[in-house]
Amino acid sequence: MRKKFTILIGGEAGQGVAKTSLLFGKAFSRLGYYVFIYRDYPSLIRGGHNFDVITISNEPVFSQEDNYDLIIALDQNTINLHQENSKNGGFIIGNVGFGARQNRKIINLDLQKIISKIKGASSVFNNDILAGYLFKYFGLPLNPLLKASKDEFGGKQLLEKTIKKGYNLAKTEKKLFEPSSKRGKYFLSGSQAVGSGAIAAGIDIYIAYPITPATPVLHFLAARQAENNFSVLQLENEIAVANTALGASFGGAMTMIGTSGAGLSLMSEAMSMQGMSEIPLVVYLSQRTGPATGVPTYSSQGDLDLILNIGHGEFPRIVVAPGDPNETFLRTIEAFYLAYKYRLLSLLVLDKHLSESYFSFDKIDRPSVKPKRNILQKPPEDYKSYKIAKNGISPRAVPGQGPVVRATSYEHDEYGYTIEDQKTAVAMNNKRFAKLAYLKKEIDNLNPVSTYGRGKNLVIGWGSTKGAIIDSLPALPGVKFLQISYLSPFPARKVKQEIQRASNVILVENNVTGLLGKLIAQETGYQIKNKVLKYDSRPFSAGDVIKGVKKYIK
Amino acid sequence: MDIKKLSTKEKNTWCPGCLNNSIATATKFALSNLINKNAVKKKDVVIVTDIGCSSKVYDYIDVNAYYSLHGRALPPMLGIKAANPELTVIGFAGDGGTYNEGIAHLIHNARYNADMTLMVSNNQVFALTTGQETSTSEEGFKGPSTPAGVEDSPLNPVALALTAGATFVARACPLEFKQLEEIIEKAILHKGFSFIDILQPCLTFHNTIPFLQKHIYKLGDNFNRLDFGQAFKKAIEWDYDYKEKSKIALGIFYQIDKPTFQDKWINLKKAAYKVKRNVNWLKVVKEFQ
Repeated sequence: MRKKFTILIGGEAGQGVAKTSLLFGKAFSRLGYYVFIYRDYPSLIRGGHNFDVITISNEPVFSQEDNYDLIIALDQNTINLHQENSKNGGFIIGNVGFGARQNRKIINLDLQKIISKIKGASSVFNNDILAGYLFKYFGLPLNPLLKASKDEFGGKQLLEKTIKKGYNLAKTEKKLFEPSSKRGKYFLSGSQAVGSGAIAAGIDIYIAYPITPATPVLHFLAARQAENNFSVLQLENEIAVANTALGASFGGAMTMIGTSGAGLSLMSEAMSMQGMSEIPLVVYLSQRTGPATGVPTYSSQGDLDLILNIGHGEFPRIVVAPGDPNETFLRTIEAFYLAYKYRLLSLLVLDKHLSESYFSFDKIDRPSVKPKRNILQKPPEDYKSYKIAKNGISPRAVPGQGPVVRATSYEHDEYGYTIEDQKTAVAMNNKRFAKLAYLKKEIDNLNPVSTYGRGKNLVIGWGSTKGAIIDSLPALPGVKFLQISYLSPFPARKVKQEIQRASNVILVENNVTGLLGKLIAQETGYQIKNKVLKYDSRPFSAGDVIKGVKKYIK
Repeated sequence: MDIKKLSTKEKNTWCPGCLNNSIATATKFALSNLINKNAVKKKDVVIVTDIGCSSKVYDYIDVNAYYSLHGRALPPMLGIKAANPELTVIGFAGDGGTYNEGIAHLIHNARYNADMTLMVSNNQVFALTTGQETSTSEEGFKGPSTPAGVEDSPLNPVALALTAGATFVARACPLEFKQLEEIIEKAILHKGFSFIDILQPCLTFHNTIPFLQKHIYKLGDNFNRLDFGQAFKKAIEWDYDYKEKSKIALGIFYQIDKPTFQDKWINLKKAAYKVKRNVNWLKVVKEFQ
């Protein structure tokens, strides 16, 4: 039977909310539990209110819960803001002096007194005392917690001491349910999956300018460049990032850049340059709430139109949007594989919710493709950078190999010289679009759509809503979920098939106007009338999906 | 190497007599000398161009070439160098692309000090768009967008490049052809970011030949290129305005050795495409277990 235990941990920025939830996540995952962590933080460095919601289960869990069994309060404000959502029978733990409504159980620990007995410790260790305390409280062994702490924060003696102190203070009051029997789980975020996917794909250079929520990939890769012999560059602005990346890829490096919507807007001209020059490029986008600066540390799926249309002029592109970290790992590798095989732009699209949430999986799936730079071993003396081939893919060479290699923003002939005549302009446009037919066939073999559950009611979604929708299915009998992972080229035939099999279609999207719905109408002719749209800058919970979808179920 | 071997057969679309021809020819001579001396290999030369008259050279020199967007010559130059340190990267741009649209890239690439050369055909006018003012047009310049004359003071690119940290800063002019060729050769040989502001009279929209002929002079052989203070003093001797008493120095103002972008970088010391990667994906995800 499915069992869940949900913890909210909250406090001011800088009090260690994210650190503690990671510690729990890793430790519980090691113990064999499935864990999902949702992170909620405002745009500030110190103060304010951050909270993480950690759901622990004996069965897979992919989304955050709305109500909590336990609230770990690093400040009084956490209790004030969240006790409303504390479950019956739930409890709160916090410092001495913290208070809750009368009917809420609260455990007060005199953290200052406890800390004062540990030499060298200060209030920054409050959360570690609580972590140790809770592990004992639930009758869990200490070692997985210490090991997680060592993995995440290094083997700091003081940290270990503090966790042990908290552990020894507590008595086991309540046994947590048994974990799943499967051991060796993987616990990772979407950002970590993008970074790992890039490394597995064989990345040579990653370039970015800091922006929430894409920055974790910049940090992840920067920390791993030395041991893996690739390079991470932070440049002066997004325009430089995108144009430098095109230069790097032209120079022979497998290159990826990363940004969020505001940065992608600035990169628009370079995306167009990619279209004309046919220099392969992978772009990682983590969407946040727009327009403009919007609600910058929160989530949205509002950039779909931008991605599908970015860059002046017409050119084909690949848009792939995974729905969880396991899929993200695979899709990142596919994005490299396709960009470098077809000399195209691959846009890998996540959002804040997927990038920054942590999931556990029993295994990471084996990638089905192996990216290659696809550079000719010995390009011919009379090499043509834009040779017209039947499949539209001109074989790649790079500068330094011998023959002259060209890339250009102008319309050009096969050698890459500037042209203005009509005949060549038509031939080159046809060449660039000839790739599409081959690409579509290839994408058909990469599971561009997936279905979950059975029923005549078809819920359609893309990207990070996957977790909440899958978690909602047990409460929605007669509902089938269609996840669309490739948005360009669009798997129209498969989507149409699913729509035709259903008697009722419901769209679920984290945006204002139902952008996927518009795309489906454009590609299949089918207008979806039933729309569950959420645009309060927060992601769907399973509860939100159930409430929204139920209205339309037939 | 005969400079004919560095020329393509593409039709030249510069105006008759355009001094960009001289800049292209001087570059070919410089490259040919360097190739003959074995200092540069033709197969490793990459030219990167902006958009505008300066950048039409993309079609005329028979080496690896990248025709970028307006204002964006420097970013792909940096990318190419990062991907393959063995390449000789030379940029061609105009004052519009470098000092207007893409000025941030000039400042930051001067700081990064990657081993590459940027030549700016500074005709102090947007020529290909028919003669509007740029940020280096002199006060009083009249163009179709400024019929009453420009009221702003021009930007001083030599002073700017110096303060931004370029390790090789020069000013040249096709009217002093031999010197231009020598400066280009030295700029390419310099290990670090080389910047040459080339005063290039535009015969159609901004013919400054009479003024330049009267006011240019060459820096003497005893000019100390290692002295930043002296270089800066020389740089502000002329403010790019057209005044009766203007003295316009040509030559290398400043040249010092500093660690380059590649020296500072930990990885990819060789061409990325030669790095064999056989990544075991299971090992990559091991850290999440």
